Amino acid sequence: MKRLLSFKSLWLWIAFLALLIFPLVQRSQYYQHVMIMTMMAAVLSSSWNILGGYAGYTSLGHAAFFGLGGYLVALAHNHFGWHPFISTWFLGLIVIGVALIFGWISLRAHGSAFVVVTIAMVFIFRLVALNLASITNGARGLTQDRPGWGGVYWSPEFIKVPFHYIMLALLCLTIFASWRIRQSKFGLGLIAIREDEGKAEAVGIDTMLYKVLAFGISAYFMAVAGGIYSYFFTYIDPMFIFDIFTGVTMVLIAILGGRGTLWGPVLGAFIMEPLGNWVIGTFGGTQIHLTVFGGILLAVMLFMPQGILPALTDIIKQRQRAGESMAQP
Amino acid sequence: MTIPSTHLLVQTIILGILVGGVYALMSSGLTLIFGVMRVINVAHGAFLIFGAYCTYWLFRLTGLDPLISIVFTAPILFVLGWAVQRYILSRIENPERNSVLFTFALAVTMEGLMGTFWKTTLRSVRPEYASEVIEIATYRIPITRLAGFVAALLVLLILYLILQRTNLGRAIRATIQDRSAAQLVGVNVQMVSALTFGIGIATAAAGGSLLSMIYSFNASSQIDWITRVLTVIVLGGMGSLPGAFVAALILGVTEQLTAVTITLYWSPIVFYIFLFITLIVRPQGLMGEVVREKA
Repeated sequence: MKRLLSFKSLWLWIAFLALLIFPLVQRSQYYQHVMIMTMMAAVLSSSWNILGGYAGYTSLGHAAFFGLGGYLVALAHNHFGWHPFISTWFLGLIVIGVALIFGWISLRAHGSAFVVVTIAMVFIFRLVALNLASITNGARGLTQDRPGWGGVYWSPEFIKVPFHYIMLALLCLTIFASWRIRQSKFGLGLIAIREDEGKAEAVGIDTMLYKVLAFGISAYFMAVAGGIYSYFFTYIDPMFIFDIFTGVTMVLIAILGGRGTLWGPVLGAFIMEPLGNWVIGTFGGTQIHLTVFGGILLAVMLFMPQGILPALTDIIKQRQRAGESMAQP
Repeated sequence: MTIPSTHLLVQTIILGILVGGVYALMSSGLTLIFGVMRVINVAHGAFLIFGAYCTYWLFRLTGLDPLISIVFTAPILFVLGWAVQRYILSRIENPERNSVLFTFALAVTMEGLMGTFWKTTLRSVRPEYASEVIEIATYRIPITRLAGFVAALLVLLILYLILQRTNLGRAIRATIQDRSAAQLVGVNVQMVSALTFGIGIATAAAGGSLLSMIYSFNASSQIDWITRVLTVIVLGGMGSLPGAFVAALILGVTEQLTAVTITLYWSPIVFYIFLFITLIVRPQGLMGEVVREKA
């Protein structure tokens, strides 16, 4: 309880309250939209970070689970009338099951080979969605009923508000899970795998089990986000939702903010997502957008490979040390 | 699923082998680069498409034959590849771990640039002989595919001669076998790496020229091609040239057979399934050594 009231957490409470009142204060549809997408990016990136940051296995293919969540929720909504705001939390569990299988296969590969396999994973999901047209409606995509609750459709002025709060709830849950994992023995095991997998195994960590579990957990929050996303847009198609670029974006965000840190991915999302929206709004089209994202990723990896948050922490520590030595001449 | 007649089957296998030859050329540079540097160059697909665009513009503006244009595009991409390795790739920290992400970022950047300048229109190079077909014993062979196959074999032969008969080739092979030992006996590993990267990218230029003649492409096709060539080198055994050649033929034939027996839409999945099966059953590929990288 003491820690929840400390000075450092004061800022977190302020940020949380700001997000809580955001849609009430900011009435612009555009900014409400950008905020929802930013929080979603933070969810995806934090979720990716559990496998990619803590365990050090770079997956470029987790968009596959984002898309799978989106499809399951859309199908359940259309066929059984399950409300996406509720069903997405449960259908995400099915995605964990699928992810565990794919994790069990792909985690046999290490380093670069693993990245390659995860790239292929997105394309397998996309091809299946494209070709199982009787279920997924193929390339034409799936349409859902307009968002609403209890038979009443939400008005265009109000529609972003419920999505804001469910995304905020998901974001809090994701950060909480990421924090708990980091504190736990399981998280310590994952970090040990990142530092030296051979030694981790030698000291008795069941590395395969740990990696596969991390793979599954990091798929869950993506799947839930995918479900909310598909309801938000009420339309999904295979080319768009199983996009390798979605996977690259979450990696970029995590690396920019600070890979393997709790808050790095969140910070990265609040920088990159508004910037991305600004680039698209100003220059239009996806191609310039690609160049900007790719260029930033190149620059970060060349000049600031550890990310913003660790770099900032280093600077603050140096200052403190300098301050201490000044105090005791 | 339909069972094709024997005639169609043989026809399909012939086409598959021809396609496989081109795949072999496209992946040769990638596997060579991996062998020397332990770096998977995910930007290889983007370089292929860049090579294809170079061929396309040379053809559009001067009418130069796509096969002859290799003579011009290969040196350009050689210099480009050399510069990328020498000035950028050599500077990243912990290359074995970060190179995939880094070259992926490079691929995305290149795709964005090419898409911005040359738009998303699908292009292909259609020389006069493009639609001609040779008939040998009732089997129809499109001349572009045959020319592509022959050109691929020629470039692979040149690559083989460079590797076997020149000092650079000996240095490259020594570096593949043991990097630090090569350094000890006086091989300038830094220079060898940059030159290998250049050679690898030059083969991508040749592959791109053939691609532009046989397929249509735009900037975002790079991702299709990188998954294909990556599968080839994983199946063949990363770093092994003969392995890549055999794997390319196997995949070319299987892809064509799937297209005939199931549907055209499912044929790309052959690559992904091969990729997964290889990694489960035989992670070192057909002819590679076990890749024990630190994850």
